[in-house]
Amino acid sequence: MKNTLIHLNSSPYTGLACKEGLDLALVLATFEQAVDLCVSGPALALLTLNQQPDALHGKNLHKLLEGLEFYDIDNVYIERSETEHPGAKNAELAQNTWSGVTALNTQQWQRLFSQYQQVFRF
Amino acid sequence: MQYTLLITGSPYQSKACHSALRFVKAAVAAHPNSIKGVFFYEDAVLLANALSQPPRDEYNLTQAWQELAVSNNFPLYVCIAASVRRGILSESESQRYEQSQHSLAEHFQLEGLGTLVDLINTTDKIIQFK
Repeated sequence: MKNTLIHLNSSPYTGLACKEGLDLALVLATFEQAVDLCVSGPALALLTLNQQPDALHGKNLHKLLEGLEFYDIDNVYIERSETEHPGAKNAELAQNTWSGVTALNTQQWQRLFSQYQQVFRF
Repeated sequence: MQYTLLITGSPYQSKACHSALRFVKAAVAAHPNSIKGVFFYEDAVLLANALSQPPRDEYNLTQAWQELAVSNNFPLYVCIAASVRRGILSESESQRYEQSQHSLAEHFQLEGLGTLVDLINTTDKIIQFK
């Protein structure tokens, strides 16, 4: 069995990439494949609490996060500097982020990508 | 070494399908059986639209993929969920959704993501073109 990292880097509201990346993660997990997620850039919006998208905005992908543990997807990584540094682009997220994420420092984040046999980017 | 290709980039908004085609041509030239399969996902499924007609003086990418797959005997899988939402329907899916037309190009097959998982587990390396 191979271990897989799904890297989400697209906004959940500008296209289908984020959704289709999550779909692949769920299917891999359904087939009992080891899969972790990491989230960066525009995809960080996925983690914001209290989202209320309507049908026109698209599916509420944030709701999927709570269900990940039932698929044995236990690791969702972000890079701490993207949200927590003063003046960080996504600074407002730090106070308002889903609690299931693991924040990595830059070195850990960079090492992350070589720990998997395959990384798929969406 | 056998490769599976996962292509996710749109044939119109990216060069993912073009670059992947060049990769496959180089791979089969070096080792004839080096491609296990190609899986189209996200907007890359638009490549499998039988009704798209590129201008006559432009490259026909769909046809190039069909010819390459047939001559080298590897399958072209297209994600069924990604395809159906984008209007790429096989004859049987067309019937299922009670449509009067179908649009899946010849030599492409609609498959679930489970087929991709199977390819991942039976191929040495998988390469994504985005």
